[in-house]
Amino acid sequence: MFPFIGLLVGIIFGLLVPYHIPSQYSAYLAIAILAALDSVFGGITASLQKTFNMKIFITGFFANSLLAAVLTFIGKKLDVDIHLSAIVVFGTRLFQNFAIIRRFLLNKYLKSDNI
Amino acid sequence: MKNKGAQLAISLICVLLGFMISIQYKSVRRNTALSNTQFQRADELQALLNKEKEKNENLYKQLLQYEKDLNEYQKEAAESSGQAKALLKQLYNAQVLAGMTDVEGPGVIVTLSDSKVKNEGETKIDENYFIIHDDDILMVINELADAGAEAISINDERLIATSEIRCAGNTVSVNNNRYGTPFVIKAIGNPETLESGLNIRSGAVEILRQWGIDITVKKVDKMVINRYNGAITLKYATPVVKDGE
Repeated sequence: MFPFIGLLVGIIFGLLVPYHIPSQYSAYLAIAILAALDSVFGGITASLQKTFNMKIFITGFFANSLLAAVLTFIGKKLDVDIHLSAIVVFGTRLFQNFAIIRRFLLNKYLKSDNI
Repeated sequence: MKNKGAQLAISLICVLLGFMISIQYKSVRRNTALSNTQFQRADELQALLNKEKEKNENLYKQLLQYEKDLNEYQKEAAESSGQAKALLKQLYNAQVLAGMTDVEGPGVIVTLSDSKVKNEGETKIDENYFIIHDDDILMVINELADAGAEAISINDERLIATSEIRCAGNTVSVNNNRYGTPFVIKAIGNPETLESGLNIRSGAVEILRQWGIDITVKKVDKMVINRYNGAITLKYATPVVKDGE
């Protein structure tokens, strides 16, 4: 429940703030959004499986964002769309984690273990 | 999700996520309003311009500081001897003529703006006659100088010995800065003489009014003409030193 409230608060705050990003930096923000999404889903999965570790969660978020940003930067300099690698990895993990969460919730509410 | 820490951490990241999403949404909407590359270019140029402006401002501040110092040294020197006092007087006069100081006094303010006469139908002639050109301004300036103006500025750009008044596209370049209409020319001198110099028969005012160019001459008892803002650097000219002096 709290993550949803947090998400709403963030969106409203972002809409109220009168700033915007210059177009040359919007690629970085897009990658950061993806990294945050990945972290959130990873975190939910881990806490469902009771393997949540605060250190791994926090360092994962920042290190992944940083690496993605660096890749984007290098990609821009070399004119290679290397940030696609980050998009692919984050996207794949997103679906994997989502699948795990789905299975977990189905198991929990349908009380059957054969899914 | 029993773990309170996990919930808190995930919520915090969610706040960040929401914030980034809405900022990105706003930015993307704004940036796609114009072509992306165009916007990028404009952004970059804007950033460069801001940087240059800042630099310019800092240099100007430095210049003012140096001049303040210089003034103090001059005053100190003048207090120490009579000869220096006479030299200082000479220096002040030279500074006024060179446009190095703000000056005040009576004079005229001439405002020039483009013609509002309708140029349509069968009698349509070249539009160029109805807008202000560099030579129109030159004519006014020349007339003012002839009538004994001691300091002249165009749109607060002080005219000095090296000033140019030149056509630059649809603007006029003065001291390498560009100005568009309306042109406000200030001249310090005898207001009566200056005014009658401009209003002389088939003089500047009459010629310009023919084309409907809006020219007003206002006499004022007291006004300030700002100093020349740039730095004066001489690359080629050096004073000739005579023997025995």
